[in-house]
Amino acid sequence: MKTLVVARSGATFAARKMILAARAAGYPVDVLFFGHSDEVGAFADCGAGEILTWNGAALETHPSDAALAMLETVCAQTPRELILFAGDSAGRDWAPRLAWRLKAGLITECIGWSEANGRVAFRRPVYGGKAIATIVSDTPVTIVVVQPGTLDAPEAAAAPASAVRTLVDDVAVLPAWPQVTERVTESGTGPALTDARIVVSGGRGIGSAENFALVEELARALDAALGASRAAVDEGWVPATLQVGQTGKSVRPEVYFAVGISGASQHLAGMTAAKNVVAINTNGDAPIFGVSRFGIVGDYKEVLPPLVSRFKELLGN
Amino acid sequence: MHILVCVKEVIDPEIPSSAFRIDAATRTPDVAGAAYVTSVFDANALETGLKLRDAIGGTASVSVLSIGKKSAELILRKALGCSANAAVLVADDAIVEPDPAGIATTIAAVVRKFAREGKPVDLVLTGRQAADVEHGQTGGMLAEALGWPALTFVSKMHPTADGIEARREVEDGHMLVHARPPFVVTITNDETNQPRLAKVRDVMMSNRAKIPAWSLADLELTPADVTPRVRILELATSTRENRCEFIDGDSPAAKADTLVARLRELKLV
Repeated sequence: MKTLVVARSGATFAARKMILAARAAGYPVDVLFFGHSDEVGAFADCGAGEILTWNGAALETHPSDAALAMLETVCAQTPRELILFAGDSAGRDWAPRLAWRLKAGLITECIGWSEANGRVAFRRPVYGGKAIATIVSDTPVTIVVVQPGTLDAPEAAAAPASAVRTLVDDVAVLPAWPQVTERVTESGTGPALTDARIVVSGGRGIGSAENFALVEELARALDAALGASRAAVDEGWVPATLQVGQTGKSVRPEVYFAVGISGASQHLAGMTAAKNVVAINTNGDAPIFGVSRFGIVGDYKEVLPPLVSRFKELLGN
Repeated sequence: MHILVCVKEVIDPEIPSSAFRIDAATRTPDVAGAAYVTSVFDANALETGLKLRDAIGGTASVSVLSIGKKSAELILRKALGCSANAAVLVADDAIVEPDPAGIATTIAAVVRKFAREGKPVDLVLTGRQAADVEHGQTGGMLAEALGWPALTFVSKMHPTADGIEARREVEDGHMLVHARPPFVVTITNDETNQPRLAKVRDVMMSNRAKIPAWSLADLELTPADVTPRVRILELATSTRENRCEFIDGDSPAAKADTLVARLRELKLV
């Protein structure tokens, strides 16, 4: 299947995985990269055929409409059967609209695919991760949004270097509205939530924004990323950027600390790939213990301080 | 300003994994006695829509739309109880195993019907994704079907002198977007759009309200217009074997010691 991987600046890791997985399946892959051509070195060992780059100024003010116009142009020039997007806010924004324009079948939150009888069947979790759906598309073009980090892919591909072509054409006149008037980055101090080896998350049981400081302290002691359940975001204790769950972010750390998190399905869906869960909760029957390797039944206000000091001694953070 | 909020009836997303069953033949959940509720982000969308209506004031109104079975009337009444101004149900046996493209086509036809009836829609709000199948596709496709802009993952909206300012939540922060109706918005949760509790008087009123039910024919659509583009071949529960090791101890400090020791043994920290 002729494949196009859509990538963007700042999210090259997810795109690498998609290129490598598609190459491993034997598909010819081209890349459309939204960003500066200096950054496409990240794809040098992925075995892509052609890498198209576009960095039009309109991407800043019209991140949806500008990217879609360019996507439509590129897809019209060279039709592809499979178009892969990363499952982040950009990919999830662009894919449904492009699918409509190309009359393509769309599969979102994909975690893998397999071929049978000449058809490709895509797998994705549904019902908060309680079930897995196997989906086929009945259209000539299929668009797939891939959950970051879920595809099985080789580390690199032995293949000739890709040809890089910078697109300089401007997209057609964009509407005055909608227009981005301000961008605010809320980067925390620790490692990024989605790549972190250890994540420490707090939930409704934390009780207040002030009490979250204790959870943050544990995260600092472990050099871990700070996360939260939807309940903590809804209460306004932490910003939405920290939300782990069905929406929010999907994390896949070695160790996931769930503090004061009962384990609502929608939260579990975002941390199902965590290898080892440590839960601290006053309710021993909380569903979170059902997915945990280690559990402490108790009040986090009593458990966290000694835990923080042990980790500080041990790790010197 | 006429705001249309789309709400979906879903099986209670908090049914625990242990109780969750699939009917393999119909590829749908099969959970005896399961509750059906408003999809969570649609409830956030309703709250965002109601707040925006009240901020605009005057003749601004919120209509709620659900596409599904007759039973979805219940979540529409709930929305009316939360002070939505009108409700409409689209129920048609031809909409089987609907995919997002078919739903987007149907909502677009509802918007056109409202326009024909002299109640043109200025804004359509959907949840960012449904709490059951979690496609996250309908809003974007609807925008294209209508030829309107789409603003996705919006948590807040405020009227401005010449349009609406929306806050979009993205991975590393947020962006403010200025837009002029008509457009489509997909809503994500934050502390400002938690569903309100209905007032008793409003609930009583909503129980008496007449909710029109439209068929595809009423919308000038045929079953061919809502043919799915993708099909679920198989749906299976995902099982996760697990046994939790509970850490015991005489004091919190002792528990902490044991946990740290176990994590060290496994080289996890």
